[in-house]
Order: sequence, then C-alpha cells, then structure tokens
Amino acid sequence: MYPVIRLVNRNLTISLNMGFLIWQVVFPLIYIFVAGFAYTALIHEVPFANKRLDYPAFIASGMIGFNIMNSTLVSGIIIWNDRRHGMFEQILVGPFTRTQYILSNVYTIGIIGLISAGLITAVGYPLFFESVEFNILTIPLVVFASITGSILFGSIASIISTRLKSSEGFNVVINTVFLFFAFVSTAFYPAEGAPKILATAFYFNPLTYLVDVVRAGIFGNFNSFVGLEMLVLACGSAVLFVIATKLLSKLEL
Amino acid sequence: MSCIEARSISKSYDGILAVDSIDLSVPTGKIFGFLGPNGAGKTTTIKLLTTLVPPTGGTIRILGMDAISNPLEVRKRIGVVLQQPSYEPTLSVEKSIEKYAMMWNVDKKLQKDRMEDLLLAFDLQDIRKKKNDDLSIGHRRRVQVAREFVHDMDLLFLDEPTVGLDPSARRSLLDYIKKRVREGLTIFFTTHILEEAEYLCDEIAIINKGKIIAVDTPAELKNKFGREKTIKIHIDTIRKDLSVLLQGIRDYQIDYNSGTTITIQSHSSENILLKILKILTVNKIPIEDLSVVPTSLEEIFLTMVKNSNVSSD
Ligand SMILES: Nc1ncnc2c1ncn2[C@@H]1O[C@H](COP(=O)(O)OP(=O)(O)O)[C@@H](O)[C@H]1O
Ligand SMILES: [Mg+2]
Repeated sequence: MYPVIRLVNRNLTISLNMGFLIWQVVFPLIYIFVAGFAYTALIHEVPFANKRLDYPAFIASGMIGFNIMNSTLVSGIIIWNDRRHGMFEQILVGPFTRTQYILSNVYTIGIIGLISAGLITAVGYPLFFESVEFNILTIPLVVFASITGSILFGSIASIISTRLKSSEGFNVVINTVFLFFAFVSTAFYPAEGAPKILATAFYFNPLTYLVDVVRAGIFGNFNSFVGLEMLVLACGSAVLFVIATKLLSKLEL
Repeated sequence: MSCIEARSISKSYDGILAVDSIDLSVPTGKIFGFLGPNGAGKTTTIKLLTTLVPPTGGTIRILGMDAISNPLEVRKRIGVVLQQPSYEPTLSVEKSIEKYAMMWNVDKKLQKDRMEDLLLAFDLQDIRKKKNDDLSIGHRRRVQVAREFVHDMDLLFLDEPTVGLDPSARRSLLDYIKKRVREGLTIFFTTHILEEAEYLCDEIAIINKGKIIAVDTPAELKNKFGREKTIKIHIDTIRKDLSVLLQGIRDYQIDYNSGTTITIQSHSSENILLKILKILTVNKIPIEDLSVVPTSLEEIFLTMVKNSNVSSD
C-alpha cells in the first residue's frame, strides 16, 4: 500500500465514529424533513432559474453542499487532534513526508465529502425528484462541487487548526465560521428576494457557490453565471490549499 | 560500524543554542545513553537525529545515510518514541497498535503475532480494549513505547521513555530493551536518571547546556571521576564561628540544617579530614557523627554538571 493510502486508512478509522455519523447524517435529515416541511406553510415555492421548487426540494438540494462543507471539518479536527495528542510529530518521524500527510487529509475529506453528498442525494431524492432534470452535466457538476468544495473548506479548517493554540479557541472559531457559512448562504434560502445587503453577503461566502453549482447540476440549469461560480470555486480552493499547505509545512516542531 | 555519526551539530532557537556543536558516534548493536538535566538539549538532539527538525549546522549520518539529504530513507529504518505523549484518543489500545502497524506497512499476520507479544511484554493485556483517552498517564506511556516495537527497525530512539512509569513497569521496560538489543537492535536512550543509564547503557554521553561534557562507559566514568570521596562531620550545636576557624582549608562546605554539618568532597578527603579534626579538637568542639559516602555516578554527574555550569557562567 502507498504511504498516502495508509494515512487515509488511518484518518478514516479515527474520524468515522458515532458522533461524526450523527453530525453528518442525522442533522441534515432533521433540516430536510423537519425544517423543510415545517417551513412549507410559510414558503410555498422558491423561484429557481426558470422553474419553481417547493421548499423541501430546495433545502434538500442545499443540504448536499452544506454536508460537503461539514464533512471538511474532519480535516481541521484531524490536524488539530494530531497536534494536540502528539500524532503529528509521530507521523512525521515515521515513514511519511509532510506533503503526504497533507494529501492524505485532502483525500480523506474528498472521500467523506463525496460519500455524504451521495447519501444526502439518495435521501433527499424523493423530495426533489419531481423537479430534477438530470443531464450529462449533472454528475460532473456535483462531483466538481464536491471536490473543489472539500478542498476549499478543508483548507479553511486546516488553516484555523494550524493558527490556534487553545482547544476552546479552536472550537469557537471553527463553529462560528461554519455557522456563518451555513446561514449566510443560498443553502437555506434563495438569493433572489432576500434584502440586497444579505443577497450580496451571500456571494462573499464560498458555500453559496458550492450550493449553486450542486443545484445547477441537479435541476439541469447550467449557464454562464454558474460557470463563473465554478471558476471562483476552483481558484478559491487552489489559493486556500496553497496557503494551508504552506502553514502546515512551516509548523514548528 | 557506527549507527549514528554526528559532526558538530547545532540547533539554535531564537538565538539560543539548544544544542551547541556536538559530536556523536554510536556503535551498532549497543545501547547509547544520553544523560543530562532538564533543558540540557536531549530532546532537541533527538529531533535533529530523527530528521524532525533541521540542524542549524553540522552533518548527520544515520545507518550510513546522510540524514539531511535523505530524511525519508532514514525515517523508514528508525523507530522513535518522543518525549511528549502521542496517542489516538478515540481508539482502543489494540486498535491503535494495529493501525500503527498498518501505517508502517507491517504484514497482517506478523502484526497479530507481534501485538500479542507486546501486550504480554508490556503487561497491557488487561487494558487492551480500553480507549487511549481513558488510560492513566503511565499506561499511555507504556502503550506508546510498546507500539513502536510493532514495526521493523535498525535503530530506536527513546526520549525519557520511563518517565511516568512505576518501578516495576520501569524495570520490565529496561529489561525488554536489553533483550531487543541482544537480538541486534541499536538504541539511543535519553534520561535524566543516572541509575537507569548505569543499568542499561554500554556507553554514556553527558550533556549540559547543549554541550557534551563527557563520553565513556559507565565503569570508566566511575573510575575517572569516582576517586572523589565525600566525608560528612556532624556537630550537635550551631557553630557560626567555624568558617573563621577553618580558614585556609579547601574543598569543604558548611551548612546549619540541624546543628552544623561539614561536608568534605575532594580527591584527598582524608588529608582534609585530618586538618579539620585537629582544629575541632584544639577548639574542644565535640563531633556527633562522622560518615564516609562512596561516590555514586549520580554525584559524578551532579559535580560535572555543576562544574560545567560554573565554567560557562
Ligand atoms: N521549540 C523550541 N523553541 C524554543 N526553544 C526551545 C524549543 N525546544 C527547546 N527549546 C530550548 O532548548 C533547550 C533544550 O531543550 P530540550 O532539548 O527540550 O532539553 P531536554 O530534553 O534535555 O530537557 C531549552 O532551553 C529549551 O527551552
Ligand atoms: Mg527532553
């Protein structure tokens, strides 16, 4: 087995526990089935491109992006725990390089991101199947979003985990940042119709781009704006990945 | 052949020299003890030798390879137990050793056999199903050391592996290390406990303030520096006038903890004793107790460290 794969094996072993599965699966289900249907009384339909979605379909598709983002917390948590419990140094005096360590984290969140996106798609499918328009771009768009999204949010989580010293600080910062990403985005409500300031704020948030691309894939709505959003995702993830890698490789031991 | 060859390696942190141009030569198949007080530079030296941090200067050859240009090749053939704890909090003892073996690409069947041997040798069978997070510090340390033996290696670095262990666990670890060395392993072992180094090591280097102040076998060290004898004279009453009375005599100390104690420490303690006794008799000061303390390695060590501190201040 290759060194990176062995590290991924270990990452998955330490990350996939009950608490994480609840976080990854149960929360989105509550959002989709409880919030989705509860809000239907208030929100009858959501305009989306040239069609009108019911709210459960809208939120279920938003949850895919939301879940990809959440799964990337894993990378921050792995790095954080490895530093706190001495495994970072231990791995680096073992038969591995820093680059392999970083790559293993990227692959880990990529895998968890894809699996959870698949899971939420399967679970949410009954809710949006009336509006779906799968086409040749669906899978490429969802996979593109999963991968760039994983790298982007994974890098943000890594950056936070390399910068902070106390565990309280780490939890507070990471939860605040991700809460902002979750609720100031198009995951829960559409940008159209939101107050101008809020709608603008949505587009300062990478989750919005991620969710938009996933929805474009599922509801067959690819256009030049979505193309632009993909470009932003690709560039954002590349830049943040480089920063995260730099910070991690400079980490003093 | 030498397992470790280091020439004038240094490491400075923000201008402070943690390791100050040291040379090391560790023969294959031996236990090399690296002894020094806290902050002496032991951990930093291990980090340099194991390629965890690059040296500020100097050259390092490990197992015949240049450690600065080939760090990965070196790391593939060494084992390292760092001073700081390292563990997977959410995994059980068993699972964490199993995963560690997997990370080192150890064959499954071999890993199973080794695991049973290690659980037995380190007396971990009762806690094999426990989570690392729930272990006591001593147990965690034992797991950390045991885990390192699950993979193949030619050279093992142990940074104060016995800290936190109870005396019996400490002894079984030292004996296990001896056994592995008989089977061909080379060990670089740091400690601040002299007895351990004396019990275990074929050769000892003493480090203080980043500099090596002596390298030799435990027996030679004793022979070279152990000729000093310590003699204690105890007097019941507090005699503050003694230092005046003993003027001109060297290599003694007075303290007033309970009564007055004169401690003589010198190569010629007997001569000094005679002089002091004469003065005490002339002044009619009665002696309560007189004892001769044979010099242990511990004292040699403390004296050497003290001398090296004085000469560098
Ligand atoms: N990462 C670091 N940054 C700054 N100073 C350090 C660092 N690591 C060690 N030192 C300093 O280097 C000296 C030697 O430390 P160390 O090698 O840990 O000693 P020992 O292991 O013998 O107790 C100490 O003065 C320590 O404070
Ligand atoms: Mg140390």
